[in-house]
Amino acid sequence: MLSVAFVLTASITAQTAEEIVANYFENTGGIDAWRAIEGMKMSAKVNQGGMEIPIEIIQLKDGRQMTRITFQGKTMKQGVFDGETLWSTNFMTQKAEKSDAEATANFKLEAGDFPDAFLDYKDKGYTVELMGKEDFAGTETFKIKLTKQPVTIDGKQEENVYFYYFDTENYVPLAMQNEIKQGQAKGMIQEITFSDYQEAGDIYMPYTMTQGIKDGQSQPISMDTIEVNPKVDDKEFKFPEGETTETENKN
Amino acid sequence: MKKIVLALAVLWSCIPIANAQENTIKAESYFGDLRARHIGPALMSGRINDMEAHPTNPRIIYAGTAGGGVWKSNDAGATFNPIFDEYCQSIGAVEIDPNDPDKTIYVGTGETWPRNSVSIGDGLYKSSDGGTTWEKMGFEKSERIANIIVNPNNSQEIYVGILGALWSDSEERGVYKTSDGGETWNKILYVDEMTGCADMTMDHNDPNILYASMWEFRRTGWSFNSGGDKSALYKSTDAGKTWNKIHNGFPEGKLGRLAIAVAPSDSNVLYTVIEAEEDSKKGLYRSDDAGASWKQLNNDFGITVRPFYFSRITVDPRNPDVVVKGGLSGSISRDGGKTFKNLGNMHSDIHDVIFDINNSDVMYSGTDGGVYRSWNGGTTFEIVENLPLSQFYHISVDDAEPYNVYGGLQDNGSWYGPSQAGGGVKARDWNSIGGGDGFRVLKHPTKNIIYSEMQGAENVWRYDVNKKLVKTIQPLPTEAYSKLRFNWNAPMAVSKHQPDRFYMGSQYLHKSEDMGNTWEVISPDLTTNDPTKQNQEDSGGLSMDNSGAENHTTIFTIAESPLDENIIWVGTDDGNVQVTRDGGKNWTNTTPNISGLPANTWVYHIEASVHGKGTAYAVFDGHTKGDMKPYAYKTTDYGKSWTNIISDDVEIFARNIQEDYENENLLYLGTEFGLYITLDGGKSWSKFKNNMPSVAVHFIDLQAKTNDLVMGTHGRGVIIIDDISPLREINSKVLSKKLHFFESDPFVMNDNSGAFGNGFGAETQFVGSNGPSGALIKYLLPKRHTFGKMTMEIQDMDGNKIVSLTPGKAKGINIVNWNYTIKNPKVAKGKTFSFGGFTSPRVSAGEYKAVIKKGKETFEHVFEVKNDTDTGLSKADIDMKHKTTMKMYNMTQELAYMVYELDALYEATKGKKAKVANALNELKKTLVVTTGDNYVGSAEPQLREKMADLYAKIAGSYDAPSNAELANLEVIEKRFNNAKSDFKKLKKKTNPEELELKTFDEFINE
Repeated sequence: MLSVAFVLTASITAQTAEEIVANYFENTGGIDAWRAIEGMKMSAKVNQGGMEIPIEIIQLKDGRQMTRITFQGKTMKQGVFDGETLWSTNFMTQKAEKSDAEATANFKLEAGDFPDAFLDYKDKGYTVELMGKEDFAGTETFKIKLTKQPVTIDGKQEENVYFYYFDTENYVPLAMQNEIKQGQAKGMIQEITFSDYQEAGDIYMPYTMTQGIKDGQSQPISMDTIEVNPKVDDKEFKFPEGETTETENKN
Repeated sequence: MKKIVLALAVLWSCIPIANAQENTIKAESYFGDLRARHIGPALMSGRINDMEAHPTNPRIIYAGTAGGGVWKSNDAGATFNPIFDEYCQSIGAVEIDPNDPDKTIYVGTGETWPRNSVSIGDGLYKSSDGGTTWEKMGFEKSERIANIIVNPNNSQEIYVGILGALWSDSEERGVYKTSDGGETWNKILYVDEMTGCADMTMDHNDPNILYASMWEFRRTGWSFNSGGDKSALYKSTDAGKTWNKIHNGFPEGKLGRLAIAVAPSDSNVLYTVIEAEEDSKKGLYRSDDAGASWKQLNNDFGITVRPFYFSRITVDPRNPDVVVKGGLSGSISRDGGKTFKNLGNMHSDIHDVIFDINNSDVMYSGTDGGVYRSWNGGTTFEIVENLPLSQFYHISVDDAEPYNVYGGLQDNGSWYGPSQAGGGVKARDWNSIGGGDGFRVLKHPTKNIIYSEMQGAENVWRYDVNKKLVKTIQPLPTEAYSKLRFNWNAPMAVSKHQPDRFYMGSQYLHKSEDMGNTWEVISPDLTTNDPTKQNQEDSGGLSMDNSGAENHTTIFTIAESPLDENIIWVGTDDGNVQVTRDGGKNWTNTTPNISGLPANTWVYHIEASVHGKGTAYAVFDGHTKGDMKPYAYKTTDYGKSWTNIISDDVEIFARNIQEDYENENLLYLGTEFGLYITLDGGKSWSKFKNNMPSVAVHFIDLQAKTNDLVMGTHGRGVIIIDDISPLREINSKVLSKKLHFFESDPFVMNDNSGAFGNGFGAETQFVGSNGPSGALIKYLLPKRHTFGKMTMEIQDMDGNKIVSLTPGKAKGINIVNWNYTIKNPKVAKGKTFSFGGFTSPRVSAGEYKAVIKKGKETFEHVFEVKNDTDTGLSKADIDMKHKTTMKMYNMTQELAYMVYELDALYEATKGKKAKVANALNELKKTLVVTTGDNYVGSAEPQLREKMADLYAKIAGSYDAPSNAELANLEVIEKRFNNAKSDFKKLKKKTNPEELELKTFDEFINE
């Protein structure tokens, strides 16, 4: 059981981005606990216009991941990555379809981001930079720029930058912003907020997030449970060549 | 004596600070979910100052706008996104570092086509990440930056051409250079405090060769002067160390604004446009020897028109003889500048044109009405549809539901449009209600009639919306009042007390009791009537420019007290705040009672208060005298005394104030750099930044029914903050609570559906966002919730959960939206989806509770939900609809459970009792679809689909179920009953008790 006393470590004066990131890991369970995480299974219900949609997100340290969404007892997989192929179930045909090559290549670049993009960021070739203190929705934060490997968008290489807002009081991220790189919203800023930090195994994780366009509408998601190092069948991630992906009979 | 006055002044200025520590509440950290939304319009867009192309990627285009910031396109101009919202929105120049074009961008603020209504800049900015973040590089007092040039061989070497202050002397003008990336700057070309750099360019083949034009110019509130002995064109061949005039072939005498362009494909070919004393000597000049000599080639109207407003020359990057000149229509020459033809049709007033970097057929044009694209070398143009840059001078609202917003625009007429519309507020939702430049637009308080006007009250229109009849009704000179002076932006007002009453202001106050048919003058000349400010026919300098825009010593604002029709306030552009308490018989000039206000400061707005007959607010704007400070005062005694209500928090001059109708200490201030809010009557102000750019707010209105704050901005259209009522409740007591629910009026479950889909065709259009609908649960958190669980449920009054919602966790105001629905029904599992099953039914009208659990504490808020009375449904109809909906909801879930049981029994009997299993399977095929897909491969619908579709039809209708629906329900019910009895019989042939089946409740609630 972690003590809530970690909040007190906030009195340490953090000067550099590196220190702020280190404090974040320290305050949320310690770097060793973070490194020990092999995978996670997060269960949530998304509320959309009165519809409660159960979803399950599985992420593994080797980059494999998937989201399972259940509609009317039928489970569909979205954003599945098996290490090589990124694929999703088509809503109309319920058959698996591969993402385009560029999206897959860009996804692969961030495959090492679990459990946290900042964990051992230097080994991933990422850089961090403290942009200064900034007010985020009324709370004082450190704004940190995280630069990942460049992505390729419509044939052109682009910088891949994320801005994180770390609470100056306890060093946990309250929000993340990045420029949307493709699709109709290209050029707009995406914003994800984090709250309800609670224990997940030996670390603290945000159990509630909202995702949307900065200054626009957002969609919240609250985790019911987070299971650390879950057992997952490797077959679940494999792109099902030539068959439908309806593999489960959950009710 | 002086010392004592000074000491008193210091003491006086300290008092508010002392108070500030005790009683002020800084609102800015509590705005939370209060968020501005933009409704445009974008269909007429707004003024563009400077266009910039990425030097190597033709997909990327930047637009620097006159009042709406910087916009970036990633798709060659199909769509744009704003990238400079947090900073000054008036842009002079955008420059991309050619050595680092993806990342390094410079923005010089302050528009450089200095018409009467221009805003101001506050310096030079740099982005090192393609426009995501910005840092200021100085030149705070530059007011307007004309050019920025980065040496294409050395990013550290940057030149900045500063036009400088428009309304005052300033030494921060001329050409500046840095050789260390902006750490230090040297002024390398300076003439005097009246003369600034109007244009600057670099030889594309030799970065040591620079050209700069210097321009002597000055504007006041009542005149404009372009030209003088100091205007000149200079050349440097040593990277700015020395400069020489290059006037060989120039006309004699004074010069005005000069443009300069070097042909990128031939460094010897230069073009300039010259504003000269003699009309015949004005126009386009060309040099073929890099400025050693000049020849006049053309002085057509299109080339010489309004030099202060149009001066840009662009040369085709691939052909030195193709030249484009900005102008009323824009001109293009394909013979080296000898002859010109107009560019293709687009909004008039073309300020800048650029060519695509690879293809000269593709051009981008920046106009008074947005950005246009041409694909055929400038013959035809199409408008960019998602630049909501509309420049409102004024807005007003009506009391319709949803309410409409009315307003007039710089060079773009007058318009009205809805504050919300099905699928968002689109271009097609806006209606034109006047031509020319538009200013004030007012709805008649009770009739479907709209008043609008064009510049200088040349026309004041009264439009009967129902009959589409237009009448011009402006006051005309009479024998007694033979000359009327109307402001360019002439004031008008309607009365809360007499719906047909209509006021207009010239130097006199005019009143009509019959909607403008007959007029009565009810005041003497209320201005200073200073004749030295009335010589507009002399305005313009070398090019006469008497458009009416400089008319002065006029009334600018009129406010009739909402509490007493005999109390009328009038403010003039030359500094008088006049009040009458007897409907115009006697007038008192109260300006002498205001301390700390420079003489003759423009009275921009007077707000007559609802909180007391003698209470009013006055906002003064001195920017046309070079005074950029904000001034706002409050009186409670008819102007006998005035109190300063501006604090140091406000950074720039203000034009408008709006009081709150309930909380006298809550005020909204419209400034040149955005909106400010005070919770303490002006002791401290907070800038509102939630989706609110630092845009000039020219007018604010508060919609009385919705409590929406509606702003007319001069560059970003209409911006609304929905329901500001939570701000009324924020005080120190509330802030000491752990969580405070804000009061809420009963919520009406609106049945108004808005519209049928949106169709196609708006993909690249700006669509204004709608306000939230549903029950909005609002609460205040004095501190952000970061750790531990925080949940929210809607419950009935008995504490039964209806739905879980995710609560907001931000510090300050949080708003959670509940759309009145319960969970959608659990639907039987089939091969494909039953789309009807995605429908969630609404609750019945009544009282509900919002219950928030935060850590170990629980907070509750009771609110009421009402039916929409507009549907005309009786209580019996509503009950019938609800009863039928819920009956079908329950049937749907019952069927879901039956299919669950059936599937389990089938699995158990399969292979053991083949006959039973087979019968179960056959039954299932009639209950749900077992083949096909969710699109065109869908199977024949079965009971589940038919049931769910009818359920969705009834639940989704505003009306009670029709006879057809009820008859259809009977058929479905019968089939369901048959299925149930068939299943019951089959069940007897199995052993369900051997299976671990969930109960119905377990199944539904899992």
